[in-house]
Amino acid sequence: MALVGIIANPASGKDIRRLVAYGAVFDNLEKVNIVRRVLLSLASTGIREVVFMPDYYGIVPKAAEGISEKHRLQMEVSPADICITGTQRDTLQASLLMASLGVDCIITLGGDGTNRLVAKGCGTIPILPISTGTNNVFSVMVEGTIAGLAGGVVAKGTVSGFPAVQPSKRLIVYKNGEAIDSALIDVVILKDEFIGSRAVWDVERIVQVLVTQGEPHNIGISSIAGNLQPVSAQENCGLTIDFASNGTLVRAPIAPGLIEVVQVNSYRRIMIGERVAIREAPCVIALDGEREIEVQEKDNVFVQLAFDGPQVVNIRSALHEAVGKGYSRLPPAE
Amino acid sequence: MELTKEKLLGFYETMMTIRAFESKAVALFAENKLPGFVHLYLGEEAVATGVCANLGTKDYITSTHRGHGHLIAKGGKVDLMMAELFGKATGYCKGKGGSMHIADVDLGILGANGIVGAGLPIAVGAAFASKYRKSDAVAVCFFGDAASNRGTFHESLNMASIWNLPVVFVCENNMYGISLCQRDHMNICDISDRASSYGIPGITVDGNDVIAVFEAASEAIKRARRGDGPSLIECKTWRQRGHFEGDPAIYKDPAEQQSWLEKDPLPRLAKRLIELKYATQTELDQIQASAAEQIEAAVKYAESSPLPALTDVLTDVYAG
Amino acid sequence: MKQMTYAEAIRDAMRVEMLRDPNVYLQGEDVGKFGGCFGVTAGLFAEFGPGRIIDTPISETAIIGSAVGAAAAGLRPIAEIMFVDFTGVCMDELFNQAAKMRYMFGGKAKIPMVLRTPCGAGMSAAAQHSQSMEAWFTHIPGVKTVMPSTPADAKGLLSAAIRDDNPVVFIEHKQLFGLSGDVPEGEYVLPLGKADIKRTGSDITIVSWSWMVQKALAAAEILAKEGIQAEVLDPRTLVPLDKEAILQSVGKTNKLVIVQEAVQTSGFGGEISAIVAEHGFDLLDAPIKRVTAPDTPVPFSPVLEQAYLPSVEKIVAAVKSLF
Repeated sequence: MALVGIIANPASGKDIRRLVAYGAVFDNLEKVNIVRRVLLSLASTGIREVVFMPDYYGIVPKAAEGISEKHRLQMEVSPADICITGTQRDTLQASLLMASLGVDCIITLGGDGTNRLVAKGCGTIPILPISTGTNNVFSVMVEGTIAGLAGGVVAKGTVSGFPAVQPSKRLIVYKNGEAIDSALIDVVILKDEFIGSRAVWDVERIVQVLVTQGEPHNIGISSIAGNLQPVSAQENCGLTIDFASNGTLVRAPIAPGLIEVVQVNSYRRIMIGERVAIREAPCVIALDGEREIEVQEKDNVFVQLAFDGPQVVNIRSALHEAVGKGYSRLPPAE
Repeated sequence: MELTKEKLLGFYETMMTIRAFESKAVALFAENKLPGFVHLYLGEEAVATGVCANLGTKDYITSTHRGHGHLIAKGGKVDLMMAELFGKATGYCKGKGGSMHIADVDLGILGANGIVGAGLPIAVGAAFASKYRKSDAVAVCFFGDAASNRGTFHESLNMASIWNLPVVFVCENNMYGISLCQRDHMNICDISDRASSYGIPGITVDGNDVIAVFEAASEAIKRARRGDGPSLIECKTWRQRGHFEGDPAIYKDPAEQQSWLEKDPLPRLAKRLIELKYATQTELDQIQASAAEQIEAAVKYAESSPLPALTDVLTDVYAG
Repeated sequence: MKQMTYAEAIRDAMRVEMLRDPNVYLQGEDVGKFGGCFGVTAGLFAEFGPGRIIDTPISETAIIGSAVGAAAAGLRPIAEIMFVDFTGVCMDELFNQAAKMRYMFGGKAKIPMVLRTPCGAGMSAAAQHSQSMEAWFTHIPGVKTVMPSTPADAKGLLSAAIRDDNPVVFIEHKQLFGLSGDVPEGEYVLPLGKADIKRTGSDITIVSWSWMVQKALAAAEILAKEGIQAEVLDPRTLVPLDKEAILQSVGKTNKLVIVQEAVQTSGFGGEISAIVAEHGFDLLDAPIKRVTAPDTPVPFSPVLEQAYLPSVEKIVAAVKSLF
């Protein structure tokens, strides 16, 4: 029996970028609406069991409860047995638990930051990331109904493997010889001392950036790579960029509505397995757009590119393939 | 985010002063030395400190029934505050207001307030005055999660939005309205979600991280100062004591209380200050000791101050 | 002197005071281009613009609450509440905030603001648009309450209210807006707390305010024809109250009738009655009489409303009952 996991981050889409940039507000009612549409689509593809990350707001239960009698779900929707802390920890715990339950696909609602945490726990389970965050490259803006259909065909095994499900890269951060964290899209080194309000928007503070991918149509810090030397999600390399005053001027959309000019000193491709040292300390390291790690002067930090990130559902390819296999054609009515 | 060592140590000092004041109030109340009610700010020090660090004397704040922290962070004098808590003639309000009504108009403190949610429209008015005079002063309104259920919240955010006023609404979401936990008094978990209904930005920050609060408030206040209008900052925090002294807070889950005590804003800042070598433990201990000393001096001042004259009952009803 | 209606006199006071003091501004529902629900503010928007004549949303709480904040920050707001019946919506802002800030803060704040609002029945506006709520306000230490009965008083007292450093509730009467009279031009300020004898007489004192002054004067005309000389005393401001003037008049006439449009129980007439009983018992030759509305909501149907309102006839009858 196919089992789908849903991790909807109640905290995404509320950070300071609504003040310093023009970030959209994703209130939790809208997340409830999206999950409701996801559930209806999953049901239509024959998914009968869903496990979800519980949160204080109750996004998924509210979504299930709000479905009209007419469209009543033939589905068991149950919470993952984790202790709610209201922090990032919940996402990671839910992901680990879903992996141990052997779910067939995890649908996430959040930004790149949310998926970074899911990726840390989900192993080889395919992720279908719906964007409800601010700067998103990994997660995509997609109608929940469509996401649910794609998640359903992947979970049911109607489709599998490339290109319906694609591998991804990640950047692993090593501090004093130990892998302490990782990013799916970008690692940004900031001349800061504090994590503070987490988001990154002040380009003046950036000293170094590493990306797994970056294209001109992306938003966020990785768009600097996109506007310098694009790297796609499937290429066997990443990019490292050093910043300095009097460098080459590059324009890039680094946050919603914020098209900034940055000064690039040098940049180069990095290969899978390659390690790049962090040249500023003390500093703060942001992972996928959120300041996460405070580095002290004495710390030795480097970042390594790997092609062992989570499996990601490509919605377009998955649905194309599923249609090819006849998933949308039903036997004639008797 | 430009944060110097001096500024950070200043945050620590302010937070420690609030902590010392409130801790002393706990003891004094228990000794039956303080008449009336006291509502303490213990655990929420990072919010007032991080926000008020962005304000000058010309800027306004409106406070709440849990106002001691806001007053201290905005520059209020602890001896005059303590004397007021004692009901003495030398107190901020000559003993006529008490804990819930301390104000210092000269410092832009338009009063603590005994009515939940009453500060919101007053802050809107102060912001209006600033805009009317073409001054760049900003008004900051502190209020709690439960106050956001009042009509004053709705009317004030709406009015501030349509008039594009320089006001920053700072919601101290300490998860409880007296005894009622947030999920029992509203059907949303982030009060910042309410901002978009009024066409203003709303964000949520960790209210126990003074740096996060400072940074968010700095951007919101800069925005208001340059004429870009109001915004709402929700600071998630925790009231470590009962609603008022004497409330045993049996409605709180001890495990939840414990988990929040572990997120106490003071040790958190201290740890980072030491990591950055901005201070040694000894130096931080000195800050703590000097805060305690200052509060002891305030208590001495209050205790040795005269009571109001009985004829004072009749004065200050009307101006002029 | 210039002939003005009561509404024009109120407008003139605001205009003159706004020209005199840049800190004075007006805010309220539909006070701008629309000119006010009763036309009182007509033309001010054109003269002073949207920066000083400010249309607010229908948010009585924020109208008064923001006026309190602006006043605490040094401005002199005039905040209009379209009907006195709506002040229930902003009562906290008035009675817990505006009225108490000075006292609670130990005399270290000033709240110079005026809450302008029309009261009164007589236009079939029914129970929620016709009341006389002055006793609510007079029961709040820290607030002054003004209720003018003539165009000249309206101008002089509103100017005084605007210049006063305290929150003043300035209650206009809907039935008086069209009343004409001589009004001094330019700056004109009457002191708050000074009663005015609207008609002198020796046989009985009628104390009344607002619209009821006009009724009392009409009653006095009729009574005069019947040989009773009534003195009509208008306190003009209920807080502060000119107790001296009342006691002096009663000392002369030895009889007192109080006429109020408001319902009887806990009305301000009861307060005046108590003052005279306490301080002027020996001056009285007869019991004090009150002519008031009954203790009911204001009815809608014109016949019921007329029955409800104190009338000239009721005043005449009350006076005569003491002779």
